[in-house]
Amino acid sequence: MNRLGGSGLLLARFNLYMSYYPILKFRKYNGWVTLCNFAPNNWEIDKPHDLVINLTWAFDNVWVSKSLGVLPVGKAITITHNDLPDDIPGDVLLLLSLTVTPLPSHSKALPKTEFIQTKIPVWRSTLGVSTPLNVCASYQGELDAFPSQGTLLTFGPFLQFGEGIQNGLIFLNLEDSPVNRESKLEIYNAANENLIEIVSISNNKANYIELDRFGFKPNDLPVFICREMAGIPIYVSSTADGSYLSLEHTHPPASLVVHGQRWEIQKYLKKQWFAKLIK
Amino acid sequence: MIATIIKKLKVAVWTWRQPLTKIPNDLNLPISDLFVWRSSSKWQTYFELIDIPSLFEEVKRPNQVTIVFMNSVGKIVMKKNLFLEENIRQTINVSSMIGQGYGEIGTFAVFHSHIPTIIKKCNSFLAERGYVSYCYNQSPLRSYVHGNLDAVTLNPKGEIHFLGGNSFLPREYNLQYKLESDNNYEIGLVNPTSKKHYITIKLVSLFDNKILSSTKLVVAPGGASFNLVQSDKLGPKKLIIKSRLIMARPLVFCFKNSKLDVFHG
Repeated sequence: MNRLGGSGLLLARFNLYMSYYPILKFRKYNGWVTLCNFAPNNWEIDKPHDLVINLTWAFDNVWVSKSLGVLPVGKAITITHNDLPDDIPGDVLLLLSLTVTPLPSHSKALPKTEFIQTKIPVWRSTLGVSTPLNVCASYQGELDAFPSQGTLLTFGPFLQFGEGIQNGLIFLNLEDSPVNRESKLEIYNAANENLIEIVSISNNKANYIELDRFGFKPNDLPVFICREMAGIPIYVSSTADGSYLSLEHTHPPASLVVHGQRWEIQKYLKKQWFAKLIK
Repeated sequence: MIATIIKKLKVAVWTWRQPLTKIPNDLNLPISDLFVWRSSSKWQTYFELIDIPSLFEEVKRPNQVTIVFMNSVGKIVMKKNLFLEENIRQTINVSSMIGQGYGEIGTFAVFHSHIPTIIKKCNSFLAERGYVSYCYNQSPLRSYVHGNLDAVTLNPKGEIHFLGGNSFLPREYNLQYKLESDNNYEIGLVNPTSKKHYITIKLVSLFDNKILSSTKLVVAPGGASFNLVQSDKLGPKKLIIKSRLIMARPLVFCFKNSKLDVFHG
């Protein structure tokens, strides 16, 4: 007989901070986000509200936010780069969010505004990318700030092979501080623990790294670690002409297990691999 | 104070003794998602097999996995054991394994033979939530989707136990995604519980909130069922799934100009 996991009074997460939804952009591909102002279930939210659509980015060591309008209850909207104001700086990570009240126009820390978050499941948006031929790939996701002392360990079995196929990794980071900092992404082959390359990455950015130049073979298991920064690894494969596209992200090592002290297990696994993989 | 208590009670109706995933009573049992396989002249399914236990500790003897295949009504039709190799990637052609003699869709689960000590020490369970990919219409690229339900476990006798919880009340899962008129969709639902589930899928106009269609499905324990949403001129829509599953998270296949995008809700 199975025990019931998670029994007891599990509360909806009232008044927690909202998540952000990044508009990805890399190579010639354009990102888009579909925001939805309807909850993912019918039982965690009592009173829906019209929500403000915010656009936030880091510039000159502050977070800048602008309102793009209001999304009424029950509606959805898809936002691309073409829908954005002209005065947004280039090469910044653009973050959308939905809040009850507008975010402050400038702030020294990533704005946190009260939002009725859900849990089963978490409130998400559709995060997508399109090629110049308008071929799309997407996933349901959200982006929350990582602690600045966070680290990364990920195994990436996504490279695809064939004529004209291109593979890349987007290392997506977001932190509370808008101040730019750099770190190093170390790339290894899990089988022989050989260091393949070290790549510079920045915080508050969708860092794009081409993977094909590292010579991985179909049975190789790439390992990516960062000892000073956490992030979401998103793997992208496409044909050179943009007529096919594939997109998937990995989860933190805690997702390899369920129930119990998952985060202790994650700490253990990171410690193991950080000690094994030597620069 | 009273208002807070009332709020908590309202939530408790949906959560008390209704877990998303039950906890097995034996720490040695592996858990797997219920992945969807598709096998036909148009569809091939692949799975990225990694020796997860050996990521945690040194391997004394080769680990293996037991792959259990079920058909669309949840009947076990095949079991396969595969040896794993440490720290490499093994992409397995699931459709070649299942062939085309058991229908075009079904589910499969991947159970690891060894549970690392640290996992048991932390009262956790090794969960195979790995990565399935689909090749549609001889595409040069596969489209990936990861598992997200800790759905089943396998006991030493080789018996499957479903871990999905059941809801006391019918609840709605609202896919936070805009279904476009020009595209075709296939909405896949899997039943990770031990009970048959009756599911209603509603398409609602994002323009005026009218219900455009309502379809009923029955999904057996361990089974999978698909609902087709064809292109039309009715404008963008949202999808609502009503059932007594705790979280009826669908697998969505989107076909835009015959190109595939697959993701889960």
